[in-house]
Amino acid sequence: MQHTRLAMIALGAGLVAGCGDSDHPSTFPTMDCSKVTSGSCVEIDGADSAALQSAANSIGASTTIVLGAGTFAMTNQLTLRSDGMHLIGQGIDTTTLDFGPATTQVNGVDSIGKDFLIQDLTVLDAPKDGIRVEQSDGVVFRRIRSTWTTASSSANGAYGIYPVKSQHVLVEDSRAENASDAGLYVGQCQHVIVRNNTVTGNVAGLEIENTQYADVYGNTADDNTGGIVVFDLPGNPIVGRDVRLRDNTIQNNNHVNFASGGTVASIPVGTGTFAMASRRVEITGNTYKNNHTGDIALLSGLAIESDASKWILPTDTLTGTFADLPLMSAGAGTVINFRSENIVVAKNQHEGSGTMPDPNDPLHLGLLFAVTYGASPVDNVLYDAIGEAASTDAPTNKNHMCVGGNTGGTFASMHLDEQSATAVVAFYRPLAPFAPYDCTALDGGDVAAVTLP
Amino acid sequence: MWSTQLTASRVAVLAVLAAAAACGGASGDAAALAAPVALDLTAPPPTQLSDYHLFAWDPQGGFTFNDRVVPYDVNTALFSDYAVKQRAIYVPDGAAATFDPERAFDFPVGSAIIKTFAYPTGPSAADLQLIETRLLIRYDDGWHPLPYIWDADQRDAVLSPAGEVRAISFTDPSGAPAVANYLIPQRNDCQSCHAEQATTGAPIELVLIGVKARHLNRSYDYGGSVGPRNQLDYLSELGMLTGAPAAAELPAAYDFRPIEASGVGAIAGAALDTAARSYLDINCAHCHNPRGVQGMTSQLFVDHASTDLFHLGVCKRPGSAGVGNGGLTFDIVPGEPDASILYFRTDTTQLGAMMPLLGRSLTHARGAELLHAWIAAMPATGCDDAR
Repeated sequence: MQHTRLAMIALGAGLVAGCGDSDHPSTFPTMDCSKVTSGSCVEIDGADSAALQSAANSIGASTTIVLGAGTFAMTNQLTLRSDGMHLIGQGIDTTTLDFGPATTQVNGVDSIGKDFLIQDLTVLDAPKDGIRVEQSDGVVFRRIRSTWTTASSSANGAYGIYPVKSQHVLVEDSRAENASDAGLYVGQCQHVIVRNNTVTGNVAGLEIENTQYADVYGNTADDNTGGIVVFDLPGNPIVGRDVRLRDNTIQNNNHVNFASGGTVASIPVGTGTFAMASRRVEITGNTYKNNHTGDIALLSGLAIESDASKWILPTDTLTGTFADLPLMSAGAGTVINFRSENIVVAKNQHEGSGTMPDPNDPLHLGLLFAVTYGASPVDNVLYDAIGEAASTDAPTNKNHMCVGGNTGGTFASMHLDEQSATAVVAFYRPLAPFAPYDCTALDGGDVAAVTLP
Repeated sequence: MWSTQLTASRVAVLAVLAAAAACGGASGDAAALAAPVALDLTAPPPTQLSDYHLFAWDPQGGFTFNDRVVPYDVNTALFSDYAVKQRAIYVPDGAAATFDPERAFDFPVGSAIIKTFAYPTGPSAADLQLIETRLLIRYDDGWHPLPYIWDADQRDAVLSPAGEVRAISFTDPSGAPAVANYLIPQRNDCQSCHAEQATTGAPIELVLIGVKARHLNRSYDYGGSVGPRNQLDYLSELGMLTGAPAAAELPAAYDFRPIEASGVGAIAGAALDTAARSYLDINCAHCHNPRGVQGMTSQLFVDHASTDLFHLGVCKRPGSAGVGNGGLTFDIVPGEPDASILYFRTDTTQLGAMMPLLGRSLTHARGAELLHAWIAAMPATGCDDAR
């Protein structure tokens, strides 16, 4: 393969030289190869999708592909399989990879390889995921948009910005819109910063799934079905931990749930944030507004998978650090991760939420809230109290849930194990400071700061 | 810039073709095979497939294979939109592949696996329109994929790393007219199927899929003085494969041909299970095995050696299938194929939901029928979907 690459590049260079083409075409107004200081670089004229596909399948490792201004009509996935692939356009509104013409099921940009960067472009109408980056170490998404033309269509692709099974991931100043599952989905990653992005019109705006050490701040989740959520799924070989959601704006997440299926189809319309099957999570300094079902829910994984045996993980299959966590176990060599525990919710602002719980979500949570609260707004922070004593007069806090100091925030625990829409029991609705949930710090110290190389 | 280069290189290719035509043809006749196979691992791969001298194609006479190039077939094949496939193995003189009972055989450096995809154009087996020939060539650092696309005039195929999606009209096995959005993979796509790794993050290695004992353990009619022989025995006899026990002692994947011809019918019990597991093994397990680069995430492992019911999909919720769920909850609901995501995804032609990920735009009617029958035959235990 190396030989081919060399041959093609040599051939190309010879032809370019022979043609005397020395001026930069006008489709490279802001970025061109002269600004790339390391590795190789190729420039692809705006809209020349054939040249882009040839280049992507011929270049070697550590190559920057600079895309010109214009719309590339893509009939096939842009597949990158080498380390050091950097894909840079002329601007989020200037360079577009349009996968609308793709007639087979493909992602938009699909990369496996270390040191991946995508910057300054839009990915449009991918049949599956917009930008999927798998098994990378060193990932940057910067000033990009992943979107679909038709809002609220269940035929849209699943994930917009999708780093999965990767390490050292940065997503910043980007937009994810109209995904039929999650707009910005960080799955099974370690050491992640997600900052200053906007997610809108998705079923789930921003998801942190089975991920360790993530700092999520300065983002806006507006007009999704659910805003920003943290969770583990059963069976995935990495136990989520150490996630910080801080200083985000999570508002108006009342978009119709247009998921065609999957876990997100269960998200009630009007959900701000939930942390589910999660541990060592801080939810602080965020602004919650006008999320009709409610702002923050702390949930056991049993809410979506009630069979505890599905949550058993053999430790010899796990990646990442987990030995210091007080995880449940099904015997030697196993851990169980449905339990949510050790979460701090503090210093968030709440305004206008919980006024119209979704009456139709498949888990009947909205219906339960509607019946429970009647004409009153749903409390801002809800805890399902699974694993606690099912009691209203002497509640326990074995899971170390800390809820306090939230401007305009109220709290309740509803023992979901025993709730139904028609029989509400073990509903505990204390006044501040919410004892015994008035702790203020995580066991084991604050969430670790995330540093990227 | 790049586009200029490519335009220019296409012109160059055409010029080469014209020159070849003027010289009397490159691969259109078996005379091209007068020379031995030319596989130079130190030179850039040739632009023209015919330069390898691996085989010749003649629309009248069919395929002719050079010395040390042996055609083969598999018991159950990967479905590729009803394309017809002609496969062959090349092993250099004096060398041999090493048998493995489970994994792909270990081929010596300088070997090639050759797979040509074509569509029928008429009633005879030789009435074919060749689309592409995919080579996997064994270099000293591993397998290198080299995709070649056949010219419209069917004289030769040209190295084409960018691939293509082509609408192809043909008559499907039921006799109905069909149009495939046939995917000629780009070179980077090869890794989507031909890849495995020990664990997430470990180096990704290009691997073979079909060249395994259970897939090859069947008869092939080599014609001429050889006639029908078991493929494993014949490769051993030629000295191209070492260490193989007699084929009669080895397990074989299910022969799908009778199902393709006349449906699942009365196939039941252990035979039905073997047929379905063979189908899943060759169509799905290149990703859905514990070493599958893209399949690991799903935790759905349907390679023939997988026995854990949860990882086979029984009452297993998918991880991140998105639209692929089709509104269903579990990969397999025993006894209920129409409630099983595995059946939905292998039957549907909905973009974003189809499995396998690559290479299928149409439903494989007999394959879907087989998986439907297999799940339907499982004792109906139900899955807990209380929530």
